[in-house]
Amino acid sequence: MNPIVEIRNLSKVYSQGEIQVTALDDIHLDIHPSDFLTLMGPSGSGKSTLLHIIAGIDRQSSGICKVQGIDLLGLNESALADWRNQNVGFIFQSFNLIPVLSAFENVELPLLLTRLGRPERRKLVQTALELVGLEDRAGHLPKQLSGGQEQRVAIARALVTDPALVVADEPTGNLDSESAQQVLEILQSLSRDAGKTVIMVTHDPRAAAFGNRTIHLEKGRFAEPSTSEAKA
Amino acid sequence: MTTTTFIIRNALRNKRRAFLSAMSVAVSLFLFVTLQVALRELTIPPEDIGASLRIAVRNKVSLAQPLPVRQLQVIEKIPGVAAVTPFSYFGGLFRNESFTTFAQFAVNPNRFTNVFVEAKASSEHLQAWIKDRGSCLVGLDTMERYDLKVGDRMLLTGTLYSADLDMKIVGTYQGTLDDRSVFFHHTYLDELTEDPGTVGTWWVRAASAEVAPQVIQSINSAFENTSSEVRAESERAFQMGFVSMWGNIKMLIDSICSAIVFTLLLVSVSTMSMAIRERFRELAILKAIGFRRNELLSFILAESLLLSLLGAVMGAGGAAWIFHYIDIQALSGGMFVYFEVTERMLGSAFLIAMVLGVLSGVVPGLSVCRMSVVDGLKTLD
Amino acid sequence: MLPIKYNAKNVVLRWRSTLATILGIAMVVAVYVMVQALAVGLEKSSANTGDPRNLMIVRKGSQSESSSIVTLEQYRSLLYSEWIEHDANDRPLVTADVLTLVNLPRREQNGEANTTLRGIGPMGKVLRPQVKLVEGRWFEPGKREVVVSKRLAARFANFDIGDRFKTGPDWLTVVGWFDAGNCAFDSEIWADSDEVRALFDRDSYSCLLVRPVNAEGLTVLTKLVEEDKRLQLLAKNEVAYYREQTMTATPIKWLGNFLATAMSIGAILAAMNTMYATVGARTREIGTLRVLGFRRRTIVLGLLIEGMLLCSIGGVFGCLLALPINGYATGTIGFESFSETVFEFTITPALASQGIVFSALIGLFGTLIPAIKASRTPVIDALKSL
Repeated sequence: MNPIVEIRNLSKVYSQGEIQVTALDDIHLDIHPSDFLTLMGPSGSGKSTLLHIIAGIDRQSSGICKVQGIDLLGLNESALADWRNQNVGFIFQSFNLIPVLSAFENVELPLLLTRLGRPERRKLVQTALELVGLEDRAGHLPKQLSGGQEQRVAIARALVTDPALVVADEPTGNLDSESAQQVLEILQSLSRDAGKTVIMVTHDPRAAAFGNRTIHLEKGRFAEPSTSEAKA
Repeated sequence: MTTTTFIIRNALRNKRRAFLSAMSVAVSLFLFVTLQVALRELTIPPEDIGASLRIAVRNKVSLAQPLPVRQLQVIEKIPGVAAVTPFSYFGGLFRNESFTTFAQFAVNPNRFTNVFVEAKASSEHLQAWIKDRGSCLVGLDTMERYDLKVGDRMLLTGTLYSADLDMKIVGTYQGTLDDRSVFFHHTYLDELTEDPGTVGTWWVRAASAEVAPQVIQSINSAFENTSSEVRAESERAFQMGFVSMWGNIKMLIDSICSAIVFTLLLVSVSTMSMAIRERFRELAILKAIGFRRNELLSFILAESLLLSLLGAVMGAGGAAWIFHYIDIQALSGGMFVYFEVTERMLGSAFLIAMVLGVLSGVVPGLSVCRMSVVDGLKTLD
Repeated sequence: MLPIKYNAKNVVLRWRSTLATILGIAMVVAVYVMVQALAVGLEKSSANTGDPRNLMIVRKGSQSESSSIVTLEQYRSLLYSEWIEHDANDRPLVTADVLTLVNLPRREQNGEANTTLRGIGPMGKVLRPQVKLVEGRWFEPGKREVVVSKRLAARFANFDIGDRFKTGPDWLTVVGWFDAGNCAFDSEIWADSDEVRALFDRDSYSCLLVRPVNAEGLTVLTKLVEEDKRLQLLAKNEVAYYREQTMTATPIKWLGNFLATAMSIGAILAAMNTMYATVGARTREIGTLRVLGFRRRTIVLGLLIEGMLLCSIGGVFGCLLALPINGYATGTIGFESFSETVFEFTITPALASQGIVFSALIGLFGTLIPAIKASRTPVIDALKSL
């Protein structure tokens, strides 16, 4: 099976004022379809940067990052935006729902970019909400939902376009353990039952245990080189 | 949900700010329209239907210098003159008022309606006026304003003449642009001042628009090198003469208007930027979800346009509505009469609002476009 | 009490919206000060006019000198009063003036406007010592000569010394310029009184100006004129007479106040917006202050000081923006004289402080609601907010 993400010699250097910070240093990585990969490491280890580059919201300084065989560096801003819409679903630590929109409308948001008609959109949103168990909360505004519910709405929003890749940045960081459990189970079933590739950044080892593969990063490098080649 | 509802929800998400922004645009455009209306009223006197044919003849020295009554025969004989009447401004005060709120003119009643054709009075009223030398014809606006009836007395204290008028109101007229004036017999004025030899001005009606310029020329040359040289000019030019006397006031009002528009721009751009800056994170998410730069820019633009156009509706529309209903004459002490908001003014107010909306959307919008998703996600407030 | 430094630093922190607010308020204050400077200048010019020792005599019911009429008989009946001062040559200090409007072209083909031509008697100059010849010479009666105000000369064509202008059938020559020290006479052309009467075919004079022998004479003469029902005249101290000629300034003040009201509403809205944003972004900080034990009142007061500080800077800046216009001479139609009135924009210290106080008030009203709202946020919420 071809890897869905192929990363070769990937480096990322930021300039913070006059200081050059190396966030990622010559990374090699293959991620395969329906992997549930967790990225771990201390803050500043480069795990979020790696996630951002794979998801097409940040760009590397050097090296290659191919997703589904497409070199993201070759896409311009607009093409990249379209690509993200079709292929990537995002889940954030602080949910990032639009406060003025209801749960239903938040999930519907990415579909506004597609050519789908209203009835089709409705069906897809409903399916996504059912998947996270929130079909009865469709009309609620984010502030009327609990944190765990908000994060599940965010997952529904990530799934509604049926992307191949789901990226999650500390999705359980703001949740109590019960809600965290629910969210992680959903993510797990996405990779296991729906065949999605899920990449999750976390620094909670219990959360990481839900994945089928874990990579540790430290100072922009893999901390245990062996794991990058393992399991594949 | 559609994109439009999304934009409207966004614009109104912070209702307080939306209200404040739209209101500050509204207040400024209200001010802008008000000043434009005032300026128009001061500098472009409204034109009567009969104005294109009418010619005002005054002493070349100035309006304050009288003309000899013997000029009438000369003017009458000039080819192209359809009618002519003496026309003397009295400037009297009514009912202890401290300034003149309506004009009074001494005219020749027999000739008056031939010169001021648009002043409509019933023939009954006209006949009564012509017959009685101590009577006057009063504009409908003045009748209503002071609650006067036909048969009442009209008492006026002279300020320019050392004489007071005591007349009977025998009729009303309407149909001119300014139905406020009072017209009375010139012979009555002559009697009071014991000076039958002079008049203030002559007002002439030309037979047609084609001959009017020729008539003006003939009247001017007829009295050249006499002791009372005249200045004959179209009614329009005559009124523009008053405008010219305003001097630099027009420039002043114009610069105030520009100052207001500039201030408005400044404030709205800053408000809009604040509104956008607060949502940087959210806009970053939209970007991550796959919205393109120009889609985000058009969201922001639509939002700021919506707010500024709302302001324009409230400000300019409100001005038009208010000025339609208030008694501006009473409020401004008789300085303004019509205070009419024209379509052109509404047009420019909306144009300003459009420009404002675009500029105040583009400035923060562009910084949103430039922002990288990663940076946007980092912003906390 | 919070240290002022805390608020002052915050003003600097959000510089972009702060700058926009300051500039906005500066514009409001500048417009207000400029328009009021116009009214102040007009009022100052009429309040400046005249000599307190002089008595002005005009027709009862007239609203200005130019619409007043004093007949030759009336003039003669007053001329020989024992209460009138005489000069070294034993001539009574009385001038019978005649005023008429002359329509003349402005400089630079800018249309035409009425100007006031004042014919003065031989004592006219003596009675008005504030009018000083600055160039050329005084007119000689009978030679069709005039002197014009230097300030008026700047605004009308053919007013340079040696120029001639035509009015009626006659040509008049400008032989001198005078300066009346920024008063109503600065809007006039002067010539000989009887010559002007002849030129414009006038039987009577317009008004009389007399110098009573002393304060008692002033009272007696005033009474004398007013009690003589036959005369139908009115006597008034010259300074008081001109000071009351303020009709022209009234609509300008009206405009100024209208503009100030409307623009300040706009400015308050803008200030509110800025302060809401400032306060909103600092909810957490304000919560912390409250946890530390600062009272609500202290926090509101602090924010009010911040808002007023911010707006006062705008006010000062606005006054500075308006300042260059101070002393700029301009002219418009005078409502009493119905002729060109020349005056200078005048920004007095009182007016400038008015502008700054005005801006501080905008700050006060703009900040009040956001500040109260912020201080009401429960401490816990304030700390939770991101």
